[in-house]
Amino acid sequence: MTSQLVIEGVAQQFPARGAGAPVQALDGIDLEVQSGEFVSLLGPSGCGKSTLLNIIAGFQHPTRGRVLHEGAEVTRPDRRRTVVFQDYALFPWKTVQQNIEFGLKAQGMPAAKRRAVAREFITLVRLTGFEDRYPHEVSGGMKQRAAIARALAPNPDILLMDEPFGALDAQTRVLLQEEVARISAETKKTVVFVTHSIEEAVFLGDRVVVMSARPGRIRSSFPVALDRPRTPAVRRDPTFVSLVEDLWESLKPEWQDGSAR
Amino acid sequence: MLNASSLRKTLGFLLVLGIWQSLASLGAINPFLLPPPTKLVTAAYELLADGSLFRHVGASLERVVVGFLLAALCGLVLGVVLGSSRMVTDLIGPLVESLRPIPPIAWTPIAILWFGVGNAPSYFLVFIGAIFPVFVNTFAAVRNIDRAQINAALCLGAGPSLLVRDILIPAALPIIFPGLKIALGIGWMCVVAAELIAAQSGLGYMIQQNRVLLQTQNVVVGMVTIGIIGYAMSGAMSAVERRLIPWSQAVR
Repeated sequence: MTSQLVIEGVAQQFPARGAGAPVQALDGIDLEVQSGEFVSLLGPSGCGKSTLLNIIAGFQHPTRGRVLHEGAEVTRPDRRRTVVFQDYALFPWKTVQQNIEFGLKAQGMPAAKRRAVAREFITLVRLTGFEDRYPHEVSGGMKQRAAIARALAPNPDILLMDEPFGALDAQTRVLLQEEVARISAETKKTVVFVTHSIEEAVFLGDRVVVMSARPGRIRSSFPVALDRPRTPAVRRDPTFVSLVEDLWESLKPEWQDGSAR
Repeated sequence: MLNASSLRKTLGFLLVLGIWQSLASLGAINPFLLPPPTKLVTAAYELLADGSLFRHVGASLERVVVGFLLAALCGLVLGVVLGSSRMVTDLIGPLVESLRPIPPIAWTPIAILWFGVGNAPSYFLVFIGAIFPVFVNTFAAVRNIDRAQINAALCLGAGPSLLVRDILIPAALPIIFPGLKIALGIGWMCVVAAELIAAQSGLGYMIQQNRVLLQTQNVVVGMVTIGIIGYAMSGAMSAVERRLIPWSQAVR
C-alpha cells in the first residue's frame, strides 16, 4: 500500500539577509503518512516545522525534494489539504457561518446546500448559537473551533494544523486538544499536527515525529501505543506518562541550548 | 449617555455664539470686521431668498464631486499597482513622494495657466489634493494584506475572482475607506481655495466677491456654509463606513 502523503528529500533554503549566510531551514526531510493517521510534528521553535507544513500545503516550494499527495506532486494549495493556522486566519468580514461556508462556496455549491453542510460542522465543533457572530465577537477558543470547522467543511483528505493552540490559554488548550481528539476520531481524517508541546504531541498523535533545529531535520519517530479516541484519562495512562518523560529527557539538551541562544 | 454627549456638543456651539453676540452688543467687536451672529442670520436669509447661496453651493459641490471621483479612481489604481509591484514602486515611488508635499494651493497658478478660468482648474486642484490620501491608504492596504488569510482562502479552493471579491477587497476596505474620507475633506478645502482665484461661481468666489464689495457678513456666511457642509460630508462618510464595513472597528 502506498502512503497517502510522501515527503521525499525536502530541503528549504532561504536567501541570506544582508551579509549573513543563507538559512538552511530544512534539510533532507523524508516522511510518509498513512491515510487516517494522526502525525504530531514536534520540535523547538525555529526548527522549520511550520515551513514544512507550508510546503505540504503547497504555499511554498521546497528548494530540493518533493511532496506527493496520493502519488501526485504538490505544486500549489488545493482543497484536499486544508490548513488550521495558529492565528486562526478567519475572515473578519464574514460571520462564523460564512467563514465555514467559504470552502463550499469556492466549490460552487448552492447557498442552501452549503448552509446545511456548514450547520453539520458547526454542530461537530460545538459552535451552535454562534453562527451569526463575527470572529471579533467570540473567544479565541471559539475562533479556533470555527477555523477547524472551516478547514473540515470542504472534506479534505488531509488536515494540516500549524500550532493551532499556540495562542490560547492553558485551560482552553487542554479542552481543544480533547475536541480535536474526538473530531479526528469521528471524521477519520489524516492529520499532520505541528506543535512544540510534548504532551500535546503525545496526547493527539498516533506517531510523534521529532525535529531538530538549524537545519531542520527529522531526528526520531515514536509510535504512540494508545487507543483512540483519546480521552482525558489517557493523560494518567502509564504509557502516556513514560513517553512524555522519555521525549522530555531526550529533547532537553537541545531545547536548553535553544532557549539559551 | 448619547443624549448627554449631543447636548454638550450643542451647548458648546451656543456658548460660543452667546459670547460672540454679547461682545458685539457691548461694542467690543467692530461689526465691519466681524459681524454679530444676528446680522449673519439676516444675511444668510437674504442669500437663501434670492437663490444665490444655493447656486454657489451647487457649483462648489459639483466641482468637488468630479475632482474627488477622478482622484479616487486614479488613487485606487495607482495604489494597487504600486502596492503589488516592487519594480513599479522603485520606478515612480520617489516621484510620487516628491509631488506629495506640494500644497494644492501652490498648484493654482499653473492650473490657471493650463486650464484658464472655469470648472477645469477647480477639478484639477481638488484632484491634486484628494489623490494622495487615497493613494497612500490604498498602497498601505495592498502592502498589509494578511498572507495567512490569502493562504487560507487558497487552500480552501478559492479561484482568482472569489479571492478578489471575498478576500482582497473586504480586507483592503477598512484601510482604503478612511483615505477616501480624508480625501473628500481635503477636496472640499481645495475647491474653495481654487474658487477664490480661478472661478466665476462657487462659495470661494462668493466669499472673494463679497470681500471686494465690503459685505463682510456675506463673507462670514460663506465661511460658515463651508464649515457646515464639510461637517455634513464627514458625517455622511462615517455613516457610509459603518454601513459598508461593520467589522472595521474590530480590524483597526
